[in-house]
Amino acid sequence: MINLFSLDRIYHPATSVLRQLGGMALMFFSSIFYAFRRPWKLNYIFKQMEFIGVKSLGVVLITGTFTGMVLAIQTYYGFRKFGAEGLVGATVALSMTRELGPVLTSLMVTGRAGSAIAAELGTMRVTEQIDALIVMALNPIKYLVTPRVIASFFMLPVLTIISDFVGIVGGWLVGVKLLGINEGAFINKMIKYVDLEDIYDGLIKSACFGIILSVVACYKGFYTAGGAEGVGRSTTESVVIASVSILVADYILTSLMF
Amino acid sequence: MDKDTAIKIVDLYKNFGSQNVLNGINLEIKHGEITVIIGKSGGGKSVLMKHLISLLKPDMGEIWIDGVDITKLKERELNEVRKKFGMLFQEAALFDSMNVIDNVAFPLREHTKLPEKEIIRLAEEKLKNVGLSGFGYKMPSELSGGMKKRVGLARALINDPDIILFDEPTSALDPIISLTILDLIKETQERFKKTYVIISHDILGMFRIAHKVAMLYNGKIIEYGTPENVKKSENEEVKEFLKATGIPGFVGGVL
Amino acid sequence: MKINRLSPELKVGIVVLIGFIILFYMSFKISKFGILSEKGYELQVYLENANGIDPKSPVLIAGVEIGRVKKVKLDNFKALVTLIIKEGVQIPSDSTIAIKTQGVLGDKYLEIIPGNDKKILAKGEMIKNVKAAPDFDEMFSEVSTAAKKFGNTIGEFQGLLGDKEKTSIKKSIENIQTITVEFKDIIKENKQSINSMITNADDTLKGLKKIVNDVEAGKGSLGMLVKDDRLYMDAKETMGALKSISKDIEEGKGLLGKLVKDDSLYNDAKDTVKNLKDLTDGIKKGDGTLGKLAKDESLYIETEKAMKKLQKGADGLSEMTPISILGTIFSFIF
Repeated sequence: MINLFSLDRIYHPATSVLRQLGGMALMFFSSIFYAFRRPWKLNYIFKQMEFIGVKSLGVVLITGTFTGMVLAIQTYYGFRKFGAEGLVGATVALSMTRELGPVLTSLMVTGRAGSAIAAELGTMRVTEQIDALIVMALNPIKYLVTPRVIASFFMLPVLTIISDFVGIVGGWLVGVKLLGINEGAFINKMIKYVDLEDIYDGLIKSACFGIILSVVACYKGFYTAGGAEGVGRSTTESVVIASVSILVADYILTSLMF
Repeated sequence: MDKDTAIKIVDLYKNFGSQNVLNGINLEIKHGEITVIIGKSGGGKSVLMKHLISLLKPDMGEIWIDGVDITKLKERELNEVRKKFGMLFQEAALFDSMNVIDNVAFPLREHTKLPEKEIIRLAEEKLKNVGLSGFGYKMPSELSGGMKKRVGLARALINDPDIILFDEPTSALDPIISLTILDLIKETQERFKKTYVIISHDILGMFRIAHKVAMLYNGKIIEYGTPENVKKSENEEVKEFLKATGIPGFVGGVL
Repeated sequence: MKINRLSPELKVGIVVLIGFIILFYMSFKISKFGILSEKGYELQVYLENANGIDPKSPVLIAGVEIGRVKKVKLDNFKALVTLIIKEGVQIPSDSTIAIKTQGVLGDKYLEIIPGNDKKILAKGEMIKNVKAAPDFDEMFSEVSTAAKKFGNTIGEFQGLLGDKEKTSIKKSIENIQTITVEFKDIIKENKQSINSMITNADDTLKGLKKIVNDVEAGKGSLGMLVKDDRLYMDAKETMGALKSISKDIEEGKGLLGKLVKDDSLYNDAKDTVKNLKDLTDGIKKGDGTLGKLAKDESLYIETEKAMKKLQKGADGLSEMTPISILGTIFSFIF
């Protein structure tokens, strides 16, 4: 096992994109490796699940609902031009399950939890709390990174399915209740055009995004150097890198799936 | 290696890029003594200390602890060695997410299978030793710098380690708090007879408690001995360093 | 320690549970059929062109979904489509399957038109009757061919209406005038029966009008009309009959009797008649006489026109291609 928590990595930070990418991949693999090593740290994982999942619920609900609502309005005015208002439901549902649910949820969680992870680990680094863990013969990857990666991996799909659902409900509210689209057409076309794969693929995507955002945030936080200023820099970088990576990965995953 | 030698450092080199931070360190630290390593800020003291606990790997050289060269060990074996260590960090490095008692109890919880009650009892006892009984359920953010260091000391002592490392224990504290910390260090050392290694630039304070003093200069140990011997050192750099403190009774002082 | 707070485990558990409930609800909603799919049975069908038919495309009978396409693969340059039909749905073995299009997105689906056979298709059997789908590309090319031929036909017609024809039209009209005088007497005598005949004719006309309208609206696919040899034969026959009738009329033979008694012939004649207005400028002279007698001027005029036109066109028509028939029909209409 490569020594990921040698301080040499702090004194010689990886600056090139390729080295950082490699570092992140190593961090991911070692976090998975330690996840299977005793002792299990279930309470740590639950704590992170609460932080990443439960506490992001509000922001996910709001963004999901409004995304669905705005989608309904936009597609309604577009489809009305050729008399296909009945397809609004299907469009909202497909957009939410395939694309916007996973991506927007992941971006919101990146903004809320990813930044917090980077800031927390960054602070732990500059105040030597990570060193303290090592000195206590505890593995900081196992204690700090693994629970966050696992929690993100499991909670992002949960948040995404909730986001999908409230998005569709939002679309239904606007489309059927506000714009007066035929409810039967709205629901039936939705059921007809949305496949199980659309939902499941979206959830798989969001699980991948969960790994991306947690690994990037942990990596950036873990290898923070330069005091409080460094923590701020790590936080910003982690959000930017994670968001961009999510969008890039989204393209790759989507083209592989559909 | 002598029986009473706790740590033996042999020809230790470490470069950061083109900068030679450690330039051939040779040092033997005795069991059951307080050894203070003094030197300029940024002179490599912290780097040396991080080698002792293998947070950093040397470019060259050996560090023997209990007959094992820790520079050759794998991470897993290192962790066995690390369990013999306690460390008080410069800013205590308490875990922000835990309250004081959980911080102190943390090593016990992770490394022993003691019942929860026993863990809490031991943690409270250690807190009492550092004069902080009753502070157990405060969060680190509610504590002053001196209190944090005392909690950090309690945490460093909880596993009954053989060797305790102190990174600038009196820095960023006012003189009175500094004195109480120093007294605490001396008191606990006298009680438990463990090996203490302290790095500091606070010469005056350290000479009060040290059994041995080592002077680090340009990445080398240029003087090593009892405080009395070091005060009388003929080495120019040592003289200059001591003179700079401007304390009466020291070599090159006002006297 | 903090009793009044929910533990993280519990909160996470609640959120995960909500997620699972939503997931199951949505999955169940979407896959009403997906869950039942194991209970269905398979049928197969060869299609010439399975363009637009994908796995999961619905299979309908009378607009009700009774199955889905399972897979589509190429077999001997034909598309072998495997269908999964819901358990309990029985399909007669002489049923016909057709590709149809639905919705703005042009979704294709398969419609099964049940046959009457008592024998039911069993698992794995083949649906043999496939109704060719109107391929739009093909259809458009046929229509454009047809349009070209229209042009030719119209040209022919123009050629036909030379001086000689004009003279013969004149002659015909004179004949008809003579006939009408005779008609006058006959009709006077048979007023009653003529009236009823006219009523009949009127009904028939209405039916024809509908057919013409349908053709005009493009109903009952054009391609079929173009291709249907039977129609051509019918038309040819009709024309032949008309020709002989008009000859008879010219000769004053047979007179109205035949017309009155032969409904279908009359229908055909009427159909043609109705659309000949522009050729009838000179015929107006006859106006009034027969019209008055028949108490239906327009009908009379149209009959007149038809007679003339038919007389002229008959020879040429018999040689025309099916498309020319179509062309003729169109030129009548427009």
